[in-house]
Amino acid sequence: MSYFFDSKNTKQMPKGRVEGIAKVTGKAKYSAEYDIPDVAYGVMVGSTIASGRILKMQVEEAMKAPGVIDILSHENKPYVSGFSGMKEMPDNRFGLPVFYTDKVYYNDQPIAMVVAETIEDAMFAASLVKAEYEEAIPETDFAKKVKEVSLKETENDRGSVGAWENAPYKVDQEYTIAKEIHNPMEMHATIVQWKPNDKLVLYDKNQGVNRVQSVISSLFDIPTDNIHVISEFVGGGFGSGLRVWPHTIAAVMASQQVKRPVKVMLTRPQMFTMVGYRPESWQRVKLGADKDGQFMGIIHQARNNSSKIQGFSDGITRVTRKIYGFKNVKTEEAIVELNLPMPTWNRGPGDTTGCFGVESAIDELCHELKLDPVEVRLKNIAPYEMETGLPWSTNYLNECLEKGAELIGWKNRNPVPGSLKEGDYKVGYGVAVGMWGSGRSYTGASIDMQKDGVITVRTAMTDIGTGTGTGMQNVAHTVTGIPKSMIKIELGNSDFPKAPSQGGSRGMASVSSAVYAASLALKRKVAGYAWPDKDANSLNIDDISLSDKGVTYKDNFVPYADIFSKNNLNDIKVEEFAGPGEERKKYGFCSSAAHFYKVKVHEKTGKIKVDRMVIVVDAGRIINPKAAANQVIGAGAGGIGMGLMEEQLVDFKTGRLIGNDLAGYHFAVNADVPLIEVSFIGKPDPNINPSGAKGLGEVGIIGAAPAIANAVFNATGKRVRDLPITVERFFNA
Amino acid sequence: MKHSHSNAMSMSRRFFLRSSSALAALSFIPNSVKAFYQDVKEKFFVKKQMIPIQLEINKKQYSLTVDSRATLLDVLREELNLTGSKKGCDHGQCGACTVHINGERALSCLTLAAMAQGKAITTIEGLADGDNLHPMQEAFIEHDGFQCGYCTSGQIMSAVACVDEGHTGSVEEIKEYMSGNLCRCGAYNGITEAIQQVAK
Amino acid sequence: MKPFEYTKPKTVREALSSVTKHSHYIAGGTNLVDLMKKQIDEPDKLLDITNTLPDQIEVKDNGVVIGAMVRNTAIAVNKAILESWPLLSKAILKGASPQIRNMASAGGNLLQRTRCPYFYDLTLPCNKRKNGSGCGALKGNNRMGAIIGYSDACVAVHPSDMCVALAALDAKVNIRKADGSEETMNFLDFHRLPGNNPEKDNNLPENALITSIFVPKNNFSKHFEYLKLRDRESYAFALVSVAAALDMDGNQISEARLASGGVAHKPWRWTKAEAFLKGKQATAENFAEAARIAAEDTAPLSTNAFKVPLLKGAIETALHTCLTNKA
Repeated sequence: MSYFFDSKNTKQMPKGRVEGIAKVTGKAKYSAEYDIPDVAYGVMVGSTIASGRILKMQVEEAMKAPGVIDILSHENKPYVSGFSGMKEMPDNRFGLPVFYTDKVYYNDQPIAMVVAETIEDAMFAASLVKAEYEEAIPETDFAKKVKEVSLKETENDRGSVGAWENAPYKVDQEYTIAKEIHNPMEMHATIVQWKPNDKLVLYDKNQGVNRVQSVISSLFDIPTDNIHVISEFVGGGFGSGLRVWPHTIAAVMASQQVKRPVKVMLTRPQMFTMVGYRPESWQRVKLGADKDGQFMGIIHQARNNSSKIQGFSDGITRVTRKIYGFKNVKTEEAIVELNLPMPTWNRGPGDTTGCFGVESAIDELCHELKLDPVEVRLKNIAPYEMETGLPWSTNYLNECLEKGAELIGWKNRNPVPGSLKEGDYKVGYGVAVGMWGSGRSYTGASIDMQKDGVITVRTAMTDIGTGTGTGMQNVAHTVTGIPKSMIKIELGNSDFPKAPSQGGSRGMASVSSAVYAASLALKRKVAGYAWPDKDANSLNIDDISLSDKGVTYKDNFVPYADIFSKNNLNDIKVEEFAGPGEERKKYGFCSSAAHFYKVKVHEKTGKIKVDRMVIVVDAGRIINPKAAANQVIGAGAGGIGMGLMEEQLVDFKTGRLIGNDLAGYHFAVNADVPLIEVSFIGKPDPNINPSGAKGLGEVGIIGAAPAIANAVFNATGKRVRDLPITVERFFNA
Repeated sequence: MKHSHSNAMSMSRRFFLRSSSALAALSFIPNSVKAFYQDVKEKFFVKKQMIPIQLEINKKQYSLTVDSRATLLDVLREELNLTGSKKGCDHGQCGACTVHINGERALSCLTLAAMAQGKAITTIEGLADGDNLHPMQEAFIEHDGFQCGYCTSGQIMSAVACVDEGHTGSVEEIKEYMSGNLCRCGAYNGITEAIQQVAK
Repeated sequence: MKPFEYTKPKTVREALSSVTKHSHYIAGGTNLVDLMKKQIDEPDKLLDITNTLPDQIEVKDNGVVIGAMVRNTAIAVNKAILESWPLLSKAILKGASPQIRNMASAGGNLLQRTRCPYFYDLTLPCNKRKNGSGCGALKGNNRMGAIIGYSDACVAVHPSDMCVALAALDAKVNIRKADGSEETMNFLDFHRLPGNNPEKDNNLPENALITSIFVPKNNFSKHFEYLKLRDRESYAFALVSVAAALDMDGNQISEARLASGGVAHKPWRWTKAEAFLKGKQATAENFAEAARIAAEDTAPLSTNAFKVPLLKGAIETALHTCLTNKA
């Protein structure tokens, strides 16, 4: 395993992530990069209609292409117990019954997989696979269908609408956001290797190895213990790796069928159609306030698109019930099912979308009230967790706002839109906030100490770039006292203690607790061996510390060598699990962020440049300062994409995505993003977990896009209510 | 592209689907068929050509036989197990596959392996001097110029070239000249700062 | 990719004599390899001409000759080009990425195919890819499409930035035909409008080779601008681009050049606007009028109406920048 690079023979190493050297030298192995003998190449083939039925696969031509081994489809596949007997799309939890249906729900739906000797052979043959269809007219236009679908109560309302119908100041507006594709840089990939006795190894790109294990286990009716999932390095996810998608299932089927290891890597266009995206959305926000800017009530309605395969609700109105102390809240949602690919959770799911509506509407209201948007927000922050009535464990959103205003120089903002200029550009400032419920999940970690005192900390949790491994090392070092150079990290492997998928900003909050528990257990166990006469459990844990050489208890010291030899040990192992407890009944938990942006707008060309971004985050204790800042910087870059350019277009007639590659779908390049200024409140949350970390993967992007839109309004007086703010939307506003 | 299979396959299989029969087949396809809008009569197969080539990669000579269709990127990754160069799009739209060809940054996904002969190729694996990291590699670690690490090889190869080319006069210049390397994690602060440090 | 035979001719003559019905020349490969991977182009034979064509930039009395094999970066950083034809350098540097510019050849830049998404998706109709299949973009999503010079058969635009500068600078294209004879074409005649046969991007005779590009001397090196507007700051194709160049006599415009990318099937010259500017004072009003004149000939498609005000804003802005953008 290369995760922890053995740096014994090298000179002074720069300080950074535990896996830093593996990543900068190209030694890190991502899923498709394991050298598996005799591997065959799989390439997915998608449908060319958006709705209908496959009458017949036409694979003859493809079968004759050089190097083709087999072509799987609904006409030619192995037995999969979880799918067998399915004809219509069932309400199953796997989504598409891969190769077990002849129905087509969207264009580029996986209908076949070519398996060939080489990557060149497989790619070419895949282009020759065709199908004869019975075609139906697809429904693909969200804007056209959105209002036809009735909204449903979310059943989380508070107060009444009548209570604020006479509010002196009101805003009632509609907002939309285009489909956004995750597009992690690593395209989803899997290598599947069947071994004797129904054992299975998957090198798979995902955000949770145990999830993959359980899905494959139930689909193929194999015990989970037989399935070994390795995801040591994951080239980004942002939510696309939270589900098990058809290509992984297809690769398992293919490997079984051709009796060889099979490697599949999606093409970039398939990354747009086969692994989810943030759905297109429509929102209406009606907001009322008194003359002092005290919010009186809100109605938030939202609809998002889903596929005809499965319903998917993004949870857009959740954030409305959370951030502010609205006494009167009415929220309604609906799903618009279309012949489009399956959407899924995308960074800050729901809340990122909802915040655009709410945070824009607040800005509109402040403009009408002629009140400062920072002041109005400060006045209205939820005093406790509104949905449960529980007190916040910690919520420093107010400090985020105050600090951010100071850092950006909010006083330089002129509340009158269009009044500031720099050269040919109009200049504006915008603010918006974000919040994300923090939590943690039941997570395991183990520590294995060798005779030389070197420990290896392990968990099944993946590190999708968030710094999980580095955080684990930091926690183990802080708790045990063992120097970092003697702490190895191994993760992303289903052989290690079980862990939840890395998502919802729960990774660090969860795994840090498990490592904390394992570190304590290690201290106690080592002490127990060192002083067998003492009852290890009765020793004050704070008096025990480990070092590079041995264990200390008060004034007593025993070297590791003695412990291992006297007790005749080869290693010392501990494994601990940690999860949420009683604290969830006592407190509300959240991370929050305030975004303060300065934009420059060239009115003649509609060019919008984000000139400065100040993001202040309350995420409890920051375990990895550099990686944490990097997370927020990345979220800010994602916010620029969402605010200004990310938009997946659809050809409505055919349901094909238009420009579904990295030249057609734009996200921010280096030149789009200023050097982002991040700062943290940094106060530990005393109740969430032992480390006090609240999680920050999502919150950095929640509020980013509305801060841009609000700044554009301040610069130009143009209110853009539809994202992204491309030039046409700017001109039309 | 594994030798053991591909050679055998290309020798044993020859396929020429005559253009006339392909056209004849078309006439039976009912209207509901979504045929690809390609010129079907050109769809006869040329036998795949396996070419013996010599490549100089990271100052090492490699002799191998490759499919004429093979890109340098696929040869590196699938044939030589040099997986440091990444496939992020396979179409010249992301920069993850950036290598140096004769000292200049180039995209290995748009370079046919056969056309890379006689040129000095450097990949991320060839950047460090043994255990001594290249200053740019150290700077990327120090400034946390990555998160997931997938675009990192390409970023670093591009960054080294960016410094060599002298495009480091300002933050804006660095950012413009690094915009051919997408980073979806958005670690652009660290990337830019790492380059600033090395350029000093 | 469809299997093909790879060969590497040593001379132009050998290259010309090696062509077959389904062969293709390859130089930088930045577009062709992409098209082959997508199976939009399916040659059965590739002729690697990287060793056969000139790769030098030669300054002559009347202009500069850029060998067809000169890489885009080499043109952009060339001292003579920067001094006398800085518009060309600026346009090149707005295109693609440093990596691609290092690979792409001068000749290949002229032969780039459109980036229309309908052209790139084999399941969608596209007359440029297969004439007779229809134009999916015409009534589909044509946000990136043309606003002038298109036909019902094709609304695609030419993607090059370099070519917009070459169009503005009245370049010429030197070619060697399959029979070995040489010919010089005016750059403005090189690319063509789609009409009823959009599968043809240009008027280069079949199997002919571009050997070099000639750019005449001019007085535009002091007042020029290449303004490219796109969905992001860099590494994206143009929504609209403007190459503007002025030959100034005091505040009076002696000659003007205006060309655009992202608006038509070929790099587009705004000749009426140029004629208007000739002899006028360099004022905001005259620049706005030139932009209006250019825009009045345009007719946007169903989803790209924004390109018209964008073009106007771009022309005005580029002309203003000409006054301050001194080489």
